[in-house]
Amino acid sequence: MTDERPVISLRNLRKSYGTFELGPIDLDVQPGYVVAIVGPNGGGKSTLMGMLMNLIKPTSGEITIFGGVYPEEEVTVKRRIGYAPERPSGYDGLSSRDLGEFVSRFYPGWDQRLYEDLLADAAIEPEKSFGEFSTGTQRRLTFALALATGSELLLLDEPTGGVDPFARRRILEGISRFMMDERYGDRTVLFATHVMEEVRRIADYVAFLVDGKLLGLFEKDALLEGWRTFWLDKEPESEVPGQVEVESGNPCGSLARIVSDSPRETEEALCARNIRIVRSGALDLEEILSHLMRRGKAKRIKSSRTGE
Amino acid sequence: MSGKKRYPRRVPHVPIRLSMEDPQPMYRQLESQLRDFILAGELKAGTKLPTIRALAGELSCSVITTQRAYQDLEGEGLILTRQGWGTVVADIPEEKLNARRREAVEAAFGEAVRTGRRAGLTEEELRDVLNQALQLDHTNVEGDVS
Repeated sequence: MTDERPVISLRNLRKSYGTFELGPIDLDVQPGYVVAIVGPNGGGKSTLMGMLMNLIKPTSGEITIFGGVYPEEEVTVKRRIGYAPERPSGYDGLSSRDLGEFVSRFYPGWDQRLYEDLLADAAIEPEKSFGEFSTGTQRRLTFALALATGSELLLLDEPTGGVDPFARRRILEGISRFMMDERYGDRTVLFATHVMEEVRRIADYVAFLVDGKLLGLFEKDALLEGWRTFWLDKEPESEVPGQVEVESGNPCGSLARIVSDSPRETEEALCARNIRIVRSGALDLEEILSHLMRRGKAKRIKSSRTGE
Repeated sequence: MSGKKRYPRRVPHVPIRLSMEDPQPMYRQLESQLRDFILAGELKAGTKLPTIRALAGELSCSVITTQRAYQDLEGEGLILTRQGWGTVVADIPEEKLNARRREAVEAAFGEAVRTGRRAGLTEEELRDVLNQALQLDHTNVEGDVS
């Protein structure tokens, strides 16, 4: 799983539309991992997905997928990608059977049995047309089409948007099964979402995309382990290493609280200052993202002021 | 749900729990729990372990965590990974097993001594604590038998 060539490699990728500016994005996605692109709606996730499928032309920068570039290697590259767009266009009048026939022609590894299983699981009638289904069922059909392509790489844009909790679980299970299928070697999933619970459950890496800026690619567990909240019997008189937020206790007995992005250093410093840690706890991904967003904004304000 | 398939469970379910409240990194927690199962003989030699992906799915952790834990345990000689065969519990010689069990006990005692020192206990007092603990345990064992 390591020391391999990245499946996706982005260099200095930019797209501007009017006042919206996406990028510059530099990102390498290694084979064998599930990578979540997370961020608020309007942050650029769908634009990025569109560029990865060559449906949106970048303003500048490079996209390399399986070592190939667009437009030269578009056909060979895309045969190895199963794509589930957030809003598929041109599907409305087609039935799941028509869509399956249409998509299967392009993919040598098309898995008809898997497609039929997924449709049965979602109770999708083969003859009914796409436009007649509910949003949730449309999502599941779109997901089934991507999964059945038999591709090594899945690009899923909000695969669970507008689905009920039951269908969401089935979709996440589908992603896990895709990764575990022993008939294939290392497979890779890049999925866009704004639901942190999904990230927590199935992602190996998390890339935060906020206001068109990539706040970094993080190994999920290391990220979760890299932040901690400490409740203290007294507030430190000056800043301790790793401290990103501090909240004073009050005289009625509530404890002082520190959020740290280097828990070990913070713990050592507190110990050296004879401050007792009453309790410590992990942060969840939402909290970590909000700290990273604040930090990203602070950096940008600073650099625009100093003109860096 | 119609058409639900039941796959035979070829791999044992390993009852592992990772806690975000624990300040230990997740791979360390995973490692130490698996190590305990193996050293206690609850996972016997040759037992097939889940793949890193399956275990990550079960624990909702990343595959990097499960991979790291497996690599470390393999480095300790407790498990083996073979291409096309998966990961299995290694055949550990009895004397090595005993040595590893003793190491675990030594580590626990070492930690207990450090706790005692931090609380300001003298060597004499620490011995008393140990003797008292042994006495209590001894009473318990006898109590269980009767």
